[in-house]
Amino acid sequence: MVRVPIGQRIRERRRRAGMAQAALAKMVDISPAYLSLIEHDKRYIGGKLLRRIADALELDLDYLTADQDTRLVETMMELSAASGIEGLDTESAASLVGRYPEWARAFIKLHRNLQDATETALALSERLSRDPELMALSHQMLTQITSVRSFSEILAEHQDLGSDERRRFAGIIASESDALTSSARAVIDTLEHSGDAFRPTSPAREVDDFIIDNRNYFASIEEAAAVLRRDLGDERYLSDAALAQRLFSRHGVEVVFGPLHCARDVMAPRLEIAEGAAPSTIRFRLAQRLCALEFADLFEEIVATARVSSAETHDRVLRALARYAAGALLLPYMPFLESAEALRYDLDALGSRFGASFEQVAHRLVTLREPDNEGVPFAFLRADPAGNISKRFSIPGLRMPEYGGACPRWPIYTAFASPDQVVSQLAAIPGGAQYLFVARRVIKPAVIHGRPATVFSVMLGCEAHYADRIVYGDAYASRRDSVISRVGFECRSCRREDCGQRVHPPVFRQGLRERGEGAGDGPDRSPVQPALVLEGVTDGRP
Amino acid sequence: MDAREVGEGRRQILIAEDEPFIVESLTFLLERQGYDVRSVRDGAVALEELSSEPPDLLILDTMIPSENGFDVLRQLRQMPHGGAVPVLVLTAKGQESDRRQMLSLGADEFVTKPFSNQDLLARVDRLLGDAGRRP
Repeated sequence: MVRVPIGQRIRERRRRAGMAQAALAKMVDISPAYLSLIEHDKRYIGGKLLRRIADALELDLDYLTADQDTRLVETMMELSAASGIEGLDTESAASLVGRYPEWARAFIKLHRNLQDATETALALSERLSRDPELMALSHQMLTQITSVRSFSEILAEHQDLGSDERRRFAGIIASESDALTSSARAVIDTLEHSGDAFRPTSPAREVDDFIIDNRNYFASIEEAAAVLRRDLGDERYLSDAALAQRLFSRHGVEVVFGPLHCARDVMAPRLEIAEGAAPSTIRFRLAQRLCALEFADLFEEIVATARVSSAETHDRVLRALARYAAGALLLPYMPFLESAEALRYDLDALGSRFGASFEQVAHRLVTLREPDNEGVPFAFLRADPAGNISKRFSIPGLRMPEYGGACPRWPIYTAFASPDQVVSQLAAIPGGAQYLFVARRVIKPAVIHGRPATVFSVMLGCEAHYADRIVYGDAYASRRDSVISRVGFECRSCRREDCGQRVHPPVFRQGLRERGEGAGDGPDRSPVQPALVLEGVTDGRP
Repeated sequence: MDAREVGEGRRQILIAEDEPFIVESLTFLLERQGYDVRSVRDGAVALEELSSEPPDLLILDTMIPSENGFDVLRQLRQMPHGGAVPVLVLTAKGQESDRRQMLSLGADEFVTKPFSNQDLLARVDRLLGDAGRRP
C-alpha cells in the first residue's frame, strides 16, 4: 500500500499552534524522541495514536490519515501507466502529493480532460475524414491536445523547472485547454444533431469523483431514510404496498406494471415498472422514486457541494443519491451492519434476510462507512461480459481501474463462467499486497420474449486481513501459496512480464519495483490458481 | 553535455511547425537533451534553411503553410545533399494516407499527434544515431 508522508504536516501544524515537541508528545502520551521520528516520516502511525494527535492539534482526522492523498497517488500512477509515461515511481508520486497536492490534482484533472478530448477527437477523425472543415477542426484539436499533453509531461517529469517556467507552462496548458474546449464547441456547432455525443467532459467520471470524495457515505441521507422508515412502520421488510401507498397518497404517483420499462423522470406522474421484474427490483424502484420525491431538497443541498459542470452531471448525481437513499431505506444501517457481521458477510444470506438482490447487497456493504460503526471496507466493481466497467468504487490501497479493463484473472471475469455461484479469490498483487475478491454473475432477465437479458458481473474486494470476518475467506485460512492467485490490477501497470494474459507491454519494469516486494512475488512463473466456486458445485475446492 | 556534442559539436535540429506551443515544448525538450534547435513556421522558409544550412535532423509537420510538408520533403530529397538529412514527420491520427505518401517521399520516421515526449525523444535519438552511419 502507498504511504504518503504525513509527518511534515504534523510538524507544521504543531508549530503553527505554537506548541513545543515535548508538549505535544506529553499530550498524546509518547516520548518526544518518538514524536520526532513520526514528524520526520521515520515512523508511520495510524489508529488511536493518530487520532490523539489529531485531537491534540484540533485537526480533522481526515487531514492526517491521508486517505485522499493515497487515492491521489494511486490515480497518478494509473494515469501515468495508461499514458505510457515511463520512469515515474510510486515514491516520487507520493512525495509530490505530500508536498504539492494541488499540482497532483491538476495533473490528474488535465489527464482526464486529455483522455476525454482524445477520445472525442479520434472518434471525429474516424467519422469525418471526408469533411474538410471538420478535418481541419479535428487536426486543430489534436494539435491542442498535443500541447497540453507535452507540457503536462514536462511539468510532471522535470522537477527542476524554475518557478517562471513552471508558471508559463501551466499558463500554456490552461490556455490550450480553453482553446480545446472552444474547438470542441465549434465541432459540436458544426455537427448540428450530434451535440450530446461530443461533450468535452465525462459526466460519469464526475459522478464517480463525487461519490468517492464523500467516501460513499452520506450521514444526512441515512438520517432522513431512518425517519421515513419509521413513518412507514419500520418493519424489517418494507412491503411494496407500503411504498406504493406512500407514493400515491403523498405524491400522487401511480404505480403501473406493464410490458415497457421506461421513464427515469422523477417528476412523471406514473411509475412504470416492467411486468415480471424480480421482487427485489420492484421494491428498489419504488423506494428509489419515493426517496427522490421525499428528499428532493436534501439532495439539492448535497449536490450544491459537488463540483458539477453540466446539467447532465447534476441529474446523474441526483439519480445516484436516490439509489443510495433507496439502499438506506430498504437495508437500514445498523440492522444491516449487525446482520452482515453476524452472517460473516454472506451476501446471499443477507439478500434473503432483507429481500434484496446480490448487487443491492453488495452496493449497500460498500456504504457502511459511518465513523465508529464501520463495516469491512470494500471496493466495488461491475463489468459486462465484454469487460466494460460500468460501476466502480475504490478504497485506499485497492484502486478499481478507471480506464480500460481490470486484470482478466480477477474473479469478476471468471464469474461469467460460473453462473449463479459466488466465486472468490485470495489475490496477491505485485508489491506483496493481498486482497480477498468475491464476485458473482448477475442477470436481469428479459421480460418480453425475444429481448436479450442484461448480464453483469459484480465484485467486492477487501484487504486480505479482513478475511477472517468473511465467510468466503475460510477457504484461504491456510494462506499457503497453493491457495493464492497471483494477479495484477490492470495490464500496463502490472509487472508480471511473462503473464499469458498480457495484452499491453508493462510500463514498470524490474528496476522500478517498489521496496519491500517479497522474494516470492516476482514475475509470475507459476500458473494462476483457478478461482474457487464456493457454492453449489464444489469442484476445485481444496 | 554528452555524446551529442562529440565530434563535430552539438547536433542541429530544424523544426518546421507552425503551432507555436508545440515548437516551444519541442525546443525545451530537445535543448535539454543537448541539441541545438532552430525552428521555422512555413515550408518556404524551411526550404531556404535546408538549402543554406542543412541540419542533422528535420522535424516536419505535414500541415505547415506556404509549401506543405509533402512539398518540403519532396524538394529536400532533390537537393544535392538532401538525401542525407533524416526526417521525422509529425502527423495526426486518422491520416494513414498522408503517412503512406510521406513514406514514399522518403520520410524516415513518424510521430503521431498526440505523442508522448519520451516516444518522440527516443525516435530523435535513434535517427541521429543512424545518421552518423549514413553515406
